[in-house]
Amino acid sequence: MAGCLGGDSDSGGTLRYGRSSHSDTLDPQRTTSGEVSKVTNQIYDGLIDFEPGEAAITESLATDWSMDGVDVTIELRDDAQFDDGTDFTADDFVATYRRFVDEDYDYYFEDASAYGPFTLGNWIESVEADGDHSLNITLNDPYAPFLRNLAMFAAVVLSKEDIENDFDFNADANGTGPFQLEELDNSNGRILLTPNDNYWGDGPNVEQLLFLERGQNSTRTQALVEGELEIIDNLAPENIGSVEDSDAAEIQSGEGINIGYMSFNQSRVEAFRDARVRQAISYAIDTESIVNEVYSGIAEQADQPCPPALFGHNDDLSPYAYDPDQAESLLEEAGYGDGFSFELTTFQNARGYNPAPSSTAETIRTNLGDIGIDVTIDERPFSDYLTYTSDGKHDASLAGWYTDNADPDNFYYVLLHPQVESPDGQDWVDWSTEGYNTSNRAAWANQEFMDRVEEAQQTADQDERANLYHEAAQIAHDEAPWVYIDYADEIRGVRNTVSNYDVSAIGGPHLHIVELE
Amino acid sequence: MVSKRFVAKRLLLLGPVLFGVATVVFAILHLSPGDPAVVIAGERASQDFVEQIRSDLGLNDPLWQQYLRFLHDTVTLDFGQSYQVRQGSDVSEILADRLPITIELAVLGQIAGLLFGLPLGIISAVKKDTLTDHFSRIGALTGISVPIYWSGPLLILLFAQILGVLPTSGRIGSTYFIDSTTGFILVDTLLAGDMAAFQSAARHLLMPVLVLGIYSMAFISRMMRSSMLEVVRQDYMRTARAKGQGAKTTIMKHGLRNAFIPVITIIGIQFGSMLGGSVLTETVFEINGIGTLLVSAIHGSDYPVVQATVLVFAFMYTLVNLFVDITYSILDPRIDQ
Repeated sequence: MAGCLGGDSDSGGTLRYGRSSHSDTLDPQRTTSGEVSKVTNQIYDGLIDFEPGEAAITESLATDWSMDGVDVTIELRDDAQFDDGTDFTADDFVATYRRFVDEDYDYYFEDASAYGPFTLGNWIESVEADGDHSLNITLNDPYAPFLRNLAMFAAVVLSKEDIENDFDFNADANGTGPFQLEELDNSNGRILLTPNDNYWGDGPNVEQLLFLERGQNSTRTQALVEGELEIIDNLAPENIGSVEDSDAAEIQSGEGINIGYMSFNQSRVEAFRDARVRQAISYAIDTESIVNEVYSGIAEQADQPCPPALFGHNDDLSPYAYDPDQAESLLEEAGYGDGFSFELTTFQNARGYNPAPSSTAETIRTNLGDIGIDVTIDERPFSDYLTYTSDGKHDASLAGWYTDNADPDNFYYVLLHPQVESPDGQDWVDWSTEGYNTSNRAAWANQEFMDRVEEAQQTADQDERANLYHEAAQIAHDEAPWVYIDYADEIRGVRNTVSNYDVSAIGGPHLHIVELE
Repeated sequence: MVSKRFVAKRLLLLGPVLFGVATVVFAILHLSPGDPAVVIAGERASQDFVEQIRSDLGLNDPLWQQYLRFLHDTVTLDFGQSYQVRQGSDVSEILADRLPITIELAVLGQIAGLLFGLPLGIISAVKKDTLTDHFSRIGALTGISVPIYWSGPLLILLFAQILGVLPTSGRIGSTYFIDSTTGFILVDTLLAGDMAAFQSAARHLLMPVLVLGIYSMAFISRMMRSSMLEVVRQDYMRTARAKGQGAKTTIMKHGLRNAFIPVITIIGIQFGSMLGGSVLTETVFEINGIGTLLVSAIHGSDYPVVQATVLVFAFMYTLVNLFVDITYSILDPRIDQ
């Protein structure tokens, strides 16, 4: 398509969404990148969706569901069509599932992302269509978070016909969602979407939706203020002021579902195996000033692995107070009164849960220097940092996590359960243990904690699950395998012409309900 | 005339040069930290999953095997698929998208440099030691000394933020979608017959071209000046003047052609640094050429993209040098080949 779709700074019916990087693919099964899901979520539907701005799940291609032990039954809507006009049926989901995880399937996707096993493959025994509009899924074991996994972007439904006809999911798209792909312009970092006429739900309310790459935070912010963009994400603390000062745009924030922390690698550093040392360090680090000053107040102090937005958060806990005296006496008690030294591995560029990694590390170095612990900062580019820490080479590392499915299990089990047996009489495992869950960057393996997390995974009743997680939170708080640093807010810059936009920490963004003046 | 043997010899030299570059890039990539399998797998992957990717990519094979495979692929012009920058797309496809963007920028930058640099150098030489000369020499010195990552943001501050007359980043207004025929945006907008889009593209190109041009202009004008001064002192110039030819005609007719010879070399070398400068310029102005491609590929441990991009850089640089040598011998047939 060639031609002009309006002037440089006049939006018309076009909603322009500015972000820091372009999508590296349009295939939801190829990636774990949130940058990709922002776009694919507009084009594809999952069986289940997240409520706009909430962690709760709601219907999408599925209209009803039930889970009884390992048996999951799902009723599907009969009025959904793909963008190319074919009807959506249960077979589409079966093919989608098989493409993602079933190596025996002729159309199995060799380059499927880690979400294949992580969200579906590890838990599902079988998936069968029961007629056109009903699905029977059998799980390996009862697994309470399962329905939420179906709401994740990677589990959206592709068309069976496309899958079996070599459709180029990487550069093209055909979904049942509110928008359809109009232009993919990789040379200029742009993706243009237009309404899908076949969409079963309400909306969209705009004529066009344009995703634009504006890599530099300052440029992106400037473009918003000057009216070249309607919504921007990934704002740095230092850019918030210029949006707030503008009459034409405002900052909208929502509660994040993430955590920023420092992990102690107990597999490497002997001192960290003593809970008193970990507690001492937790007391010695001034997380309150990190959150308020270093992060300019766009985050709250953390006190446990699971953020407050989720039901697994224990409201009775409070952050470790900044108390160097207490820290020193704990160190003394543990036999490290003369201090010790360790290396703190961190990454260079800001992440949502840690808007200023260098300054965070520097604050930690200074704070711990005050109680006689000598910290060397080891700063790496993100890809290198990932390799280094997943190989367990770090003494301690700054880390963080965004939720995948807004379930507490996604924090407790994924980040702090070793997923191997805990050796008798010790609450840590050796990094090289076969099958060890390297996302647990602390090598922590506390049996009491593990028991509760495992039980919660298999418990259907939400109140019972909540209680188990609250107990797990108490253990994780007291034992301090991490220094809990922050839960960061979700921050967006939004033009005043935009209404009905919800800042979502999970799912979405639900841009089909957005209206433009 | 340029002998065929000369060109053939130079073209043959391309082989060892590219081989050397390929080897060095391969070595640096594989010796530097960062595991592409971990990057591709992401934070959600299990150890098994990472291991699977590693073996799929052949990263577990001995280094010499990987090296031989890489050489074989390179010779057959199979650059593989991107790991990260544009997952699963052919690297050759990505380069075909990105390369014209950088070439357009570098060529326009070079033209801007010549357009301002040559006259400035000539005037400076002709009006040696006058106020004009001093100003132009100070200008040239400043142009060489100012790094792109300083002059770029400064221009953005002035033209985009204070005056608000030029856009800060990108290649074209966000709402223009033009079919990519040649990949050169000025040409494509013209081919599409969309003047508004052409104007938008031209406005977007102005600042980046200016930034590249300033740097190149400074070099060219300095070289042109000293070369011109050299020529003006030659006997044949005096003879021409003695014949009663006007000063202007003498300079234009006899001076320029001779003074150009060393300048041509500079232009060739300049074009190389244009390519390097494009990395910075593209970063500052957020243009998705091969400069920014290289940077993001390095950050993402995207081996195939890094290898291919560096090879393309080396190939272009070598080719431009060859072209310069050929022009050189056309301008001055006495030059021994």
